[in-house]
Amino acid sequence: MGDKNTPLLAVLQLLRKYNLKGTEDILRKEASLGDVEYENLDLPEVELASILTAHHTESDPYSYEFAYDNLKKFIETSLDIYKHELSTLLYPVFVHMYLLLILYDHNEHAVNFLEKFGQEQEDYCQEDLKRLSIVKHKDQIKGNELAEIYSTNKFVVQLSRDASSQLKRFLHEQKSSTVIINIINNHIQVEVHDGPGRTQAQVRATTGGMLGEATRNENRTKVYYGLLKEPDIQVLPAPVEDEEEVEETPDKPKKKKAKKDNIFMKKPKSDPNAPPNDRIPLPELKETDKIEKGKALREASKRIQLGPDSLPSICFYTLLNSGHTAICTDICDDSTLLAVGFSNSNIKVWTLTPVKLRGMKSAEKLLDIDREAGDVLVRMMEEKDRDTCRTLYGHSGSVYKVAFDPFKTLLLSCSEDSTVRLWSLQCWTCLVVYRGHVWPVWDVRWSPHGHYFVSSGHDRTARLWATDHHQPLRIFSGHLSDVDCVQFHPNSNYVATGSSDRTVRLWDCLTGTQVRIMTGHKSTIFTLAFSVCGRWLASGGSGELIVFDISNGSPAAILPPLHTAPIHALAFSRDGTILSSGSLDCNIKLWDFTAITEEANGEEPGANPIQKEEKFLLRSFATKNSPIKGLHFTRRNLLLAVGSYEGSA
Amino acid sequence: MGDSEFAYGSSLSVDSMKVIAESIGIASLGDDAAKELADDVTFRLKVIVQDSMKFMHHSKRQKLSITDIDNALKIKNIECQYGFIQPDSLPFRFASGGGRELHFIEEKEIDLSEILSAPPPKIPLDVSVRAHWLSVDGVQPTVPENPPPLSKEAQKLESVDPISKLSKPTNKDAAGKPMCGKAARLKASESVHVKQLATHELSVEQQLYYKEITEACVGSDEGRRAEALQSLACDPGLHEMLPRMCTFISEGVKVNVVQNNLALLIYLMRMVKALLDNQSLYLEKYLHELIPSVSTCIVSRQLCLRPEMDNHWALRDFAARLMAQICKTFNTSTNNLQTRVTRLFAKALQCPSQTNNETGVGPSMVTSMKESEKTPLASLYGAVQGLAELGPEVVKVFILPRVRWLGERVEGALSGLGGADRLAAGNLKHQLLKVLAPVVRQLRQPPDLPDDYKRDYGYLGPSLQQAVSKVRASPLAGGGGGAVAVVTCTPPLVPAAPSPSHSHAIISHAPKTVETVASRNVVISASPAPQSPAPSTPPPQKYVIVSQQKGPQTQPASGASHIMVHSSQPTIVRSQNSVVVTSGPAGGAAPPQKVVVVGVQPAHHQVPSSIPGQVSQAPVSVVAKPVFARGGGGPQPPPELDDLSHLA
Repeated sequence: MGDKNTPLLAVLQLLRKYNLKGTEDILRKEASLGDVEYENLDLPEVELASILTAHHTESDPYSYEFAYDNLKKFIETSLDIYKHELSTLLYPVFVHMYLLLILYDHNEHAVNFLEKFGQEQEDYCQEDLKRLSIVKHKDQIKGNELAEIYSTNKFVVQLSRDASSQLKRFLHEQKSSTVIINIINNHIQVEVHDGPGRTQAQVRATTGGMLGEATRNENRTKVYYGLLKEPDIQVLPAPVEDEEEVEETPDKPKKKKAKKDNIFMKKPKSDPNAPPNDRIPLPELKETDKIEKGKALREASKRIQLGPDSLPSICFYTLLNSGHTAICTDICDDSTLLAVGFSNSNIKVWTLTPVKLRGMKSAEKLLDIDREAGDVLVRMMEEKDRDTCRTLYGHSGSVYKVAFDPFKTLLLSCSEDSTVRLWSLQCWTCLVVYRGHVWPVWDVRWSPHGHYFVSSGHDRTARLWATDHHQPLRIFSGHLSDVDCVQFHPNSNYVATGSSDRTVRLWDCLTGTQVRIMTGHKSTIFTLAFSVCGRWLASGGSGELIVFDISNGSPAAILPPLHTAPIHALAFSRDGTILSSGSLDCNIKLWDFTAITEEANGEEPGANPIQKEEKFLLRSFATKNSPIKGLHFTRRNLLLAVGSYEGSA
Repeated sequence: MGDSEFAYGSSLSVDSMKVIAESIGIASLGDDAAKELADDVTFRLKVIVQDSMKFMHHSKRQKLSITDIDNALKIKNIECQYGFIQPDSLPFRFASGGGRELHFIEEKEIDLSEILSAPPPKIPLDVSVRAHWLSVDGVQPTVPENPPPLSKEAQKLESVDPISKLSKPTNKDAAGKPMCGKAARLKASESVHVKQLATHELSVEQQLYYKEITEACVGSDEGRRAEALQSLACDPGLHEMLPRMCTFISEGVKVNVVQNNLALLIYLMRMVKALLDNQSLYLEKYLHELIPSVSTCIVSRQLCLRPEMDNHWALRDFAARLMAQICKTFNTSTNNLQTRVTRLFAKALQCPSQTNNETGVGPSMVTSMKESEKTPLASLYGAVQGLAELGPEVVKVFILPRVRWLGERVEGALSGLGGADRLAAGNLKHQLLKVLAPVVRQLRQPPDLPDDYKRDYGYLGPSLQQAVSKVRASPLAGGGGGAVAVVTCTPPLVPAAPSPSHSHAIISHAPKTVETVASRNVVISASPAPQSPAPSTPPPQKYVIVSQQKGPQTQPASGASHIMVHSSQPTIVRSQNSVVVTSGPAGGAAPPQKVVVVGVQPAHHQVPSSIPGQVSQAPVSVVAKPVFARGGGGPQPPPELDDLSHLA
């Protein structure tokens, strides 16, 4: 018999000594000890004492199972109002027990423990458990991303006051076993909140983060989620270009003006949540940018109001012959250009209108142009050299994201080669290579006002850059795993990041601090989108879609998981009434965002984010074996979608 | 390893480590070392796979590829594994022996010089962008770029389990109509919503489409027909029209087989082919209409006006191929399709001696024996062709034993006087030789002696021997090249233009027919079904049904009974030409068989086919369908097609 049984035998002897027959029998049965050893139970008294004292509870593999079982029983028998909150304790306790077992070299016990209780954990933990289960030796804890995160950070569990006092009472009763007490003291941060215990649905809505829920304090900071006051662009050139429209109805220009006033003048003034316009310095609008803005406004006035009764039309751009090589797409704000990043490190830009892509004239020829001429912008472009598609070469790894700047003169791209590149869409060359990320860069996004952009990558940081600096202005670090996606807030003051640690965080560009941490996702977050009004943040993961309210950081709506594959594209209609989601399962779904926000507003903020029925889903459109890689609403609310056809097989 | 559940295949075993060690020249790796290594390597591999998953996700794929692994290695500062690019998936092979079990990947040796000398591979096509409307105001248009509104799987599920459609709470995802506007309001106001199994109304566009397609398919313009067939074969979203299409085909076949209109029959079969080829349709629900039609075109005694001139053999070949395709696609263990089709053809080849042996002797038997002896050669040809398409095994079991009897028939016909018969016999002989030669070649050993063949296979023996030796001589030739002029039809099956005198009548009227008929209603009058048509029933004025009543002693082998219909009078009052007889053997093993019997002229009385189509437990019943056809001489009447509006 190995020395494993020695402590058991010692216990048996002790039991016999005190004549505890019943326990002795049970123990014998449970440990399945043979009669042989049982007969020669004559350990000397001294040795017995040493065995029993030396056998510290923490290093006794059997005490773990026992303690975990006790905790489970306690939670199961507690009142329903506490039960669901308390049950969030189970997973962190379980994980730490497993790691402790490994740490104390009880590798076989650890495996057994995992096998016995691993199945009982919540379904969204299973993936983590699988990743954790490959750790089978204490040397491996160091190399494992997940195990390191767990052992160096505290898991946050939120309990109501009553529930936490229940827990304390239970821990007091467990004097004999210090395992759980130690784990809870060392590795779990219990956040006590006032108010009644939460229901199962409420608990489920916010759990799922790699380290549990967000603490209350983390989401206290005020977030200015309102929109900036738009610069006054009333000095528009008279809309002479819209001759056709003038022909249609002579009174339309008036109407339009009235509408324009509506759009610009009233809204920003009355927004109490908007940050001051100079909170972060924004670039001055150039003359050309103003023209572009003016165009956008005129387009916007022709926009179709969408709603459940008037769904958008969808134009689908299929990338043929691309197979799996096409990775990311972007369509510029005025919907005239389409950029696609490929796994062979190329970027291709297509024009979506009959207007061909033109390059700039060579330097010598540019010298000849009169710079004061009114049409200098037209003159500087090449007349002959025009294409419907142009390719940009420069990266040395898969291009994971391309992004047009708001004024469609620049293009950003990020790649596996850990660089971000800035391209000119006038001379069609690379302008700047931004180095700073250490590992692949997963995502890059422009500020809605241009000039700034934010990137994120495998190095667990997101970085804020300005186009004229080769160093990042801010580094947002805090995520526990890859930062898979970023998004600028419409007012350019905040940046949202989504990560493999299953949290969405909001960062203040001014201070560089984290102002919101939003949990609820049960899987990696692949895409983010801010609503037009700036208050809501939609995030998509592997099939799940959650709308967060960034005023308080709570999930406002958890949309039913109708997508069966990761969601990689989200887009809000320009009037903010429809949310569209595109997934690798070749489906585009349209959600009634008005209903979602109404529902969320109806409730007291922060409470009752109950999973909604399918009533939010308006329609679902399947494509022919073309996973959706990009969605874009035109200024007139036509939905453009991009996907690559992957063959009929 | 404790966790047996994950252990297999998810961790490297000690044995594997030893094998790998051996392969690099370390003969004796200690157990402990191997275990340590195995655990460590497993851990490292898993970490790498985990990281490569990230790259897969960010490449927006759902399949892990080699580049993902390379990238994961790269971020760990490990050199990539070069040279593992493989376009196809590699089979992971398993081998055991000597107490060892191994998984390995087959490595082929590649001749470099061959690659160098080979022409460079084609440049892959450049990526291009193509736009289409995925949705117009919330409605998905059914264009080829969009997936069919009802997926094939859903259609299949529906045909197997119709309840599933009822239980589905909302068809928001699948249906092509938006859940807004009128439909939504209607749904909201209706408290009791009666769900129908299938929507029976067609939209105006669909009705137009149906009309256009059917007209084009049977019309005279070959270009239009090609377009229509292309549309049938490729367009998604036809499933709502399928019931009508299938009825159109089956009714069309019924009418035209009576009128011996070869051209139209060919057109209809091409429609069947197109529907079968459509990837978005699941036809199982409509097989009961399609199979009788197709088999009629295979074994019908007469398919054209001048059997001695028209090439109806091509139609039989084509239909036989269709039948084989149907069997291949839809055969399941529940519907036993192939078995039933095989039985149907085998029945036609039943030689009298076998019939005699297998079935009981009764007054009806005598008749049926006599009749089957007179099975026309054309039908025999069809049956042989139908069986041959089902594969060599079927040929071996069903044709080969009857070759002697078939030979006698051929011999008799060849020595006879009738020109048509001789041609038919010639074709049948050629076909038999073609079909049998490869099979016999497999069965018999090389010394092919004419006498042996003569002894074994009767009249056809010597010719068969020649064919076999020819096949043996040139294994690739496949026994073709017979002397008889049989035109084997190639896919674009275009019927030979009828002779001028008739062409006018047929072709010019065909499109018109559809239009005129469209306004006419055809009433299906199901004549009272005689519960059991006794064999001795005195012949009614129009037809006699001679049905073999199967007693309980009947052997299962003769599952379907032979049913004869004598169209005893040449001038039938209402041109009652097409008759559907459903006969159910009382207590027999086989399910009731639906038989389409088409009799035309008094001289011919025959069963072309017996089709396993319906599984209903209906008793023997006779349903007569009046079909408008003006018999008699004079100018050829326009081929009339049944109007289907009565189904709407």
